[in-house]
Amino acid sequence: MTDSPPPPATLATAEPEPRRRLHPLSPILHGAKSIAVVVAALSWQTLSQVGLERFALVVLVLAVGVVIFSLVGWLTTGYHVVGRELRISDGLIWRRNRAIPLERLQAVELRRPLLAQLTGLAELRLEVVGGSSKAEAPLAYLTVRDAAALRERLLALAGRTAAGLSVDAHPTTGPAAAPALEQPLLRVRNRDLVISQLLTPQAFFLPIGVAFVVMQFVLEGSWTFIGIASTFTAMAGVLLQPVRRVLQDWDFRLARDPGGRLVVRYGLLETRSQVVPLNRVQSVGVTWPLLWRGQGWLHLRLDIAGYAGEPGADSKRSDRLLPVGDLPTARALVHDVLPGVDLAALATSPPPARARWVHPFALRYLGVGLTPEVFVSRWGLLTREMSLVPYARLQSVRVVQGPLQRRLGLATVYADTAGGRSGQAHDRDLNEAWALAEQLAVRARQARGAVPSSPPSSTPTSPPPISPAVSPWAPPMAAAPHPGPPGAAAQP
Amino acid sequence: MPAVDALQPWPDTVEWRPVSPKLITVELIARVVWVVVLLAGLSVGYTLWEHWSWPAGMGVVVVYAIWRSVVTVRAVHAWGYAERDQDLLVRHGLLVRRLSIVPYARMQYVDVTAGPLERAFGLATVQLHTAAAASDAKVPGLPPAEAARLRDRLTALGEDRAEGL
Repeated sequence: MTDSPPPPATLATAEPEPRRRLHPLSPILHGAKSIAVVVAALSWQTLSQVGLERFALVVLVLAVGVVIFSLVGWLTTGYHVVGRELRISDGLIWRRNRAIPLERLQAVELRRPLLAQLTGLAELRLEVVGGSSKAEAPLAYLTVRDAAALRERLLALAGRTAAGLSVDAHPTTGPAAAPALEQPLLRVRNRDLVISQLLTPQAFFLPIGVAFVVMQFVLEGSWTFIGIASTFTAMAGVLLQPVRRVLQDWDFRLARDPGGRLVVRYGLLETRSQVVPLNRVQSVGVTWPLLWRGQGWLHLRLDIAGYAGEPGADSKRSDRLLPVGDLPTARALVHDVLPGVDLAALATSPPPARARWVHPFALRYLGVGLTPEVFVSRWGLLTREMSLVPYARLQSVRVVQGPLQRRLGLATVYADTAGGRSGQAHDRDLNEAWALAEQLAVRARQARGAVPSSPPSSTPTSPPPISPAVSPWAPPMAAAPHPGPPGAAAQP
Repeated sequence: MPAVDALQPWPDTVEWRPVSPKLITVELIARVVWVVVLLAGLSVGYTLWEHWSWPAGMGVVVVYAIWRSVVTVRAVHAWGYAERDQDLLVRHGLLVRRLSIVPYARMQYVDVTAGPLERAFGLATVQLHTAAAASDAKVPGLPPAEAARLRDRLTALGEDRAEGL
């Protein structure tokens, strides 16, 4: 047990650990969040109809109601750790007790929305595999010290094998001391982030959209404040995704904590800090957007089980490994996350030429490869993508053949992971597809056997070997018209 | 490509087991029930508003049902599963042919279900779930004894090779 949380009461003999409450300010913060939603729902239209005073009154009444509601919620919510489980109970009328088995813990994230930052609080989100999307359990809010301490403790419990069950035997270092021991891996420059988000289709359309709106107002001559405000609110939802991205990914930092886990921190208005044990990484996705090619930039995505089921757009998801970066950076990072994998030397082979009937344009950008560690597949004509699935994380292998593919003697192989995204070998020759499926099954078995339930003890090796000799034959991607090709960048 | 059949991968090393042909009867009965319900609905519509589109709809339903029934007969013969040392293979589908390879070690849980119609014919469905939502390993039309044996075997093997994720 850490020193920072409120010490257990004196009658802690019967129950090893008493139930704890969330921070007393939580209901107010929850209320503020709900009020923002309510105000958004009432919209500018209502404001113009009922007038400012009535509007304020309605909001006030709702606010009081929401805070009372949240207060009841706070009074009935409690959490404690029992053995290798985190138990959370909440609800006044419908009591709900959730026991979260920590061996299923995939990642822990500490989120601090703007209001929480002002009040020194944080929300702790656990990503747990299995069950519905409701399996995740947010604890909102705790003080930052408590949240960090609890996170350390949960991760320590999750990483342990079932043998060591004693909770108190593993005192975590103080939360203040933990960050000092972290080994920083990477920091994304905010300038790059802004430029990268300017190089998106939405950013290109923004001036057109603004010009359209201004034109409309000039022509109609209806310069009401409400009209302009509501138009801009509507536009913001669609066109301001780049801005949202910038705000979300601001000050992106990666580090490795003493336990070998990956620590990801980012965000401006809402800061997030996520701890991912490396053996929980289900797959890594690489994206080369069309407009970023001039800079030779790419985007890395980390798939973890538990995030996939989360509904909503990618704004909710925390799956960034690198929001923007060049190839050497990405290469070093991939080497850290998937030891032994060199992003610049991944050989892939294309499907047979008769697959041209199915892919008239993008055929030359399709490819799959089997490296000793990962299953590589790549696709995409304009936005090139690549997915790396470690064999040890394969859940199942599927071979699917549609009617058109049957005419052509082709089949598609899927390598399913718990992260929700499958590695896909599109339109391979049928015999090759079966050989591939067989190989995947065999390699997955070997990878599982070699690492029997590895704790995150796989300590990082040295930084990646930057040697030009590692790419004996440049992958087809390097041969593609690609200003910053992997093959070229591999040469110092 | 002509020599290989998408329904029979690795025929010399894998011993494929078929599902019970009684599944055809079950599926046909289920389809007949649906067709009767649909036809009843359509004829109610016809009595209320006399229009040529209602009988046309009935015709479409009947033709589609007959076509699907013909497909069903072949599709049930196309279902097959095989237990290997480390994984379960399931193949099915005619129009879109699918083969799933699910390692026992990845099994999260096994479902054995039997609907009323299936029970009447002494059949059950075994479904293997992994942590990946995409993986489908469903074996319908198993006799209860075989379903229980498969379930027990899968559970035992899954426990043997259990690990986290």
